Amino acid sequence: MTILQSLKNAVRQRSIHVCYVDTGSCNGCDIEVLACLSPRYDLEQYGIYVHNNPREADVLLIIGGVTPQWEDKLMMIWEKIPEPKAAISIGNCPISGCVFSRPATLTKAPAQRYIPIAAEVPGCPPRPTEIIEAILSVAPSLFKDWEVKR
Amino acid sequence: MRKTVDVSIPLGPVHPVFKEPCRIKCETFGEQILAAEVELGYMKKGIERIMVGRPWQEVMFLAERVCGICSVIHNFVFIETVEKISKITVPERAAYLRVLANELDRMQSHLIANFSYCYTIEHETLGMYLLNTRERVMDMLEYLTGARVTCAYIVPGGVRFDVDSEDLGRIMQTMDLVVEETHRYREMFASGPLIGLRSKGIGVMTKEQAEHIHAVGPTARACGIATDLRTDHPTYQRLKFSPVVRTEGDNFARVMLRFDEILQSADLIRTIINTLPGGKIRGGGTVGRGETVHRGEAPRGELTYRVKTDTHGRVQEISIQTPSIMNIEACARYMIPGVTSVADVTAAYISSDPCIACTER
Repeated sequence: MTILQSLKNAVRQRSIHVCYVDTGSCNGCDIEVLACLSPRYDLEQYGIYVHNNPREADVLLIIGGVTPQWEDKLMMIWEKIPEPKAAISIGNCPISGCVFSRPATLTKAPAQRYIPIAAEVPGCPPRPTEIIEAILSVAPSLFKDWEVKR
Repeated sequence: MRKTVDVSIPLGPVHPVFKEPCRIKCETFGEQILAAEVELGYMKKGIERIMVGRPWQEVMFLAERVCGICSVIHNFVFIETVEKISKITVPERAAYLRVLANELDRMQSHLIANFSYCYTIEHETLGMYLLNTRERVMDMLEYLTGARVTCAYIVPGGVRFDVDSEDLGRIMQTMDLVVEETHRYREMFASGPLIGLRSKGIGVMTKEQAEHIHAVGPTARACGIATDLRTDHPTYQRLKFSPVVRTEGDNFARVMLRFDEILQSADLIRTIINTLPGGKIRGGGTVGRGETVHRGEAPRGELTYRVKTDTHGRVQEISIQTPSIMNIEACARYMIPGVTSVADVTAAYISSDPCIACTER
């Protein structure tokens, strides 16, 4: 491994930029992601920054079972994120549709159908600590030696 | 022909300050906003369609997931609607505990709304302080109901769990802390010169305009309309509730009104803890057939449920009217047109505390 690569690995571990996109949730998971920002959980001490801008993001958080409006737009957002990138789904909705997975629903879960999902955090809603844990355990291992693996 | 519109600027659906997807189309002349239109439809899940034909036990949990921020009030109003249909009475202790949970929920909702506003005008320090105070309130909600967000605390005929004196003492202690902190942050918000520049006189809506567009909740109360459905609720009447009203009608007034309501909610919680009657927390009863309309005051304004059930308590028809749709219209029609820069569009929009998830359901 080159020195440059090990430097990149070290830096990427401590600098994860997050964009979250709400594809039809009940807002419960949204506010738990926002709660991660609070000084109690302090997302930024781990080097995670919530920008909500896909162009500078590394990790995309997907919240909610996918509504018809988002079917094509989710892929568009995913394509805007520069490599290396990872998508993490928050809550039960992107996994199974949760309470909205009923015959008359308009949502079309899972989110896996539209973009590749690296990790899933179940819960309705998951606790802020679980969200932080998922980002911290998935992102550094995915981004490690990315240039070599490519 | 004279040119009146320079360029049409779309904001959203994925935007750094929007928690939820929606698109605001602004027609601008220079930096001046002439007109605005809010485009919705990114969050339509069809909850009312799912609810039809299902028993109330299932609809109760769906009603809670109409809106995750103010989940307790959706639970509260839906359960009160089925109780009104089936003439179920609630023990006095349970009625007080319901209001306790509802006021804790209102406090956390207002705190996150004020956080969003501070974040939008890029005063992150105050926003983070508020978010920390909100965590204290969320802890108390968890102590009382067992969950942070979707609690399902209220059931027909009463509430799920009782509280003991230790829990009440802990809530009382936290309220003292929250009130002290809220007074401090309210003073910081009121006296901050840069906050004043971004807030005072921006996004103004007069009382006549608010009446015309049927604004509800804190947005209407900040324009001088004393509308609050809590005044019609029997438990709140016993607690001698009276709404807070301000008259300026700008961004500053809406945020300050929410600070005042947080303090008012803390006072209500203290009164409830001091006067909490003993007795049972569940009265029992079965949900029967009927049709009715019931209203309640959500953190964002008037919330209406119209429910029709059959003899087994299955929901045959349901329609929900949530407060944010009125406030979003008020925003697009009166608050945003006339602001002098595009940066103030998001500030005016966020100050009315829109909740897209419950608007579209």
